[in-house]
Amino acid sequence: MSNNGSSNSLVLKVEDLVLYFRTTKGVVQAVDHVDFELAKNRAVVIIGESGCGKSSLAKGILRLLPRNVHTYTGRVYLEGQEIMGLDEETFRMKIRWVKMSLVPQAAMNALNPVLRVSDQVAEALLIHYPNVSKREAIERVREMFRYVGVPDSFLHRYPFELSGGMRQRVAIAMAMITRPPLIILDEPTSALDVLTQANIMNVLKQIKWETGTSYILITHDVATSSELADDVAVMYAGQVVEMSDAASFFKEPLHPYAKMLMAAVPKLRGDDDLEFIPGQPPSLLNPPKGCRFADRCPYRMAQCEINPPMFRVGDRKVRCWLYEKDADGIYGTHPEPLEQAHV
Amino acid sequence: MAWLLGDVTLHQRQFAPIAVIPNGPLSFKEGRMNSKQDGKFFHLSPAARSTLGRLLRYTVVRLITLFITVVIGVYLTILIANMGGYVDQIRRAQIREQVAMQLQNDPTFRTLPEEQRQQLLETRIRNEEKRLGLDKPFLVRSFNYLWDALTLNLGRAENMTSDSGSRQVRLIILERLPATLVLFGTAQVVLFALSLFIALHLSRNYGSWLDRLFVALSPLSSAPGWFYGLFLIIIFAAWLKWFPFGGMVSVPPPENPIEYALDVAYHMVLPLTALTLSSIFISVYSWRTFFLIFSSEDYVEMARAKGVSPRTLERRYILRPTLPTIITSFALGVIGVWMGAPIFETIFNWPGLGRVLYQAIQLFDTPVIVGSTVIFAYLLAITVFLLDIIYAIVDPRVDIGGGRRA
Repeated sequence: MSNNGSSNSLVLKVEDLVLYFRTTKGVVQAVDHVDFELAKNRAVVIIGESGCGKSSLAKGILRLLPRNVHTYTGRVYLEGQEIMGLDEETFRMKIRWVKMSLVPQAAMNALNPVLRVSDQVAEALLIHYPNVSKREAIERVREMFRYVGVPDSFLHRYPFELSGGMRQRVAIAMAMITRPPLIILDEPTSALDVLTQANIMNVLKQIKWETGTSYILITHDVATSSELADDVAVMYAGQVVEMSDAASFFKEPLHPYAKMLMAAVPKLRGDDDLEFIPGQPPSLLNPPKGCRFADRCPYRMAQCEINPPMFRVGDRKVRCWLYEKDADGIYGTHPEPLEQAHV
Repeated sequence: MAWLLGDVTLHQRQFAPIAVIPNGPLSFKEGRMNSKQDGKFFHLSPAARSTLGRLLRYTVVRLITLFITVVIGVYLTILIANMGGYVDQIRRAQIREQVAMQLQNDPTFRTLPEEQRQQLLETRIRNEEKRLGLDKPFLVRSFNYLWDALTLNLGRAENMTSDSGSRQVRLIILERLPATLVLFGTAQVVLFALSLFIALHLSRNYGSWLDRLFVALSPLSSAPGWFYGLFLIIIFAAWLKWFPFGGMVSVPPPENPIEYALDVAYHMVLPLTALTLSSIFISVYSWRTFFLIFSSEDYVEMARAKGVSPRTLERRYILRPTLPTIITSFALGVIGVWMGAPIFETIFNWPGLGRVLYQAIQLFDTPVIVGSTVIFAYLLAITVFLLDIIYAIVDPRVDIGGGRRA
């Protein structure tokens, strides 16, 4: 095992993760050389607009790849163990749902419509723990349902007989049933009304508090995510552009994109006019060679023609030339020398 | 469900989550004790019991609905065949003419006085009408016809006889029914199994040369089975002489039941191939597409993330949810095949119901035509009924109108 990932307090360490998709129009660089890490019992929120590659990042970590994968490389350490090199069967039996689970986007469709919810939740347990009997598994499902607030009478129902909020709770119960150290939440509340959102967030907070689970929360809803976040990672056009602890980030984001993103979030008090970010994010088919945000950036300078590395600024990391002077060093792998060689 | 909102904390307090959740996923002591206690209450799990009850209710409801459909269909056929009662007027006129002619030819009748002759004529007409039931209003009789049709009291054929020599329309039809059921039943089963197997295989190897071949060949299904039958007969019967031209058994038929069955199977090879050729490409093409669509659903990805093995994934998460769609497509195909039966059986000289209908049309044998229509209505209803039941088994979302389940 490599030194890189063996730090005990880290649940997850992603190094140089690349995930490209092949399409008829060309290669989409959905996840482009992403590095990040997540400590035990912490929640990192990955924010970014639609199509910035945040769901692809989750898929890359979970190895849920569609047919049209072009490139899939990098190293992922889960509790110190490198998992990218594992073969499919080992990954399925030893990693999937044992080490990390998923609460999917739109839980409406995340449950098989022709199977009872109890069976679907119990299935996860039965696959990975063959010595657990069916009846014990169902009993455990009942406990989990109570824990996340699904009434007992819903146990043997079909997904279509449940409301959206209940389905999302079932999905959370499913993600927790094997007690994995890491749960990836892919927009867990975006399809729900505000009250239900708040309830689900409370459930998630409680779980984190009581079980010590770590979360990766993927969302574009900055306001809701701020409740749960310990750390924040901002994604833009397939790259992580800023990583900070939540407190400093929400107080003062570093990256120009993050600044403008936060300025576009309505606040409860204060009547500042909301700002917007002019222009469109670049196409991931053929992203610009330099900084990907340069075209929309008010601080643009000559250096932006070259792709900036992740600069360490204190405990925070930011991918912007503005912080070159303040930087303590460079974080992660930087593909730039390779690209410069091409230019 | 307003009470559910915001009750998270309540639940959590009530059940003290820390205590409820055991330390690791494998400590299940409490769970095991509980399950032993309630184990003696039922053999079937509550889930299985509710499925059974649901199915039973659904079956009864579907039976009644389909029966009503058949009744309406047959009654409409009766109304149309009788032109809404206009045929009665024609028949009355016919009777009057017939009776008058008979009396005219009777020498004693001519000697009677005018008034008596008229009276006799009217009495005879009335008797004849009464014999044929024409004295009752059409509405009443239409229901008598309906009852006769539904109870398969189909009357006597005008020209045709059954294979055992009876003139009963019911016998003419029922003696031919098994042959049709054997041929088309086997064809449906073969087609369903084969299509399902190939479609699954293709969806797994989407874009392979075999996949592209099936897609390219799918227009072949625009031709009906008998069209391929002609070519198969020319190639395999006339030219290669591998299989018989037609018929169901050799002449004379083998005595031994096993040999008889083998002989029937041998005769069925060409018809089955023809039926399969005409349907398999389009059904494989469309089913494979269904599988591909359904395998991109979120819950499939979710199951993959859960670590469900590839085989279970295909069975529980792709095949099961797709089955309702496939059964619908299959049901439409089955109905289409029923409709092609008359020509198909005639081409292969298959002694089935379709050929009876074909012969009856040629001979203008109205009772047999009407009788065949009734039988086809029943067959169609039974087909739909069976598929509905299967549908309800595979898809819990089928609304059976049974109210809330526990």
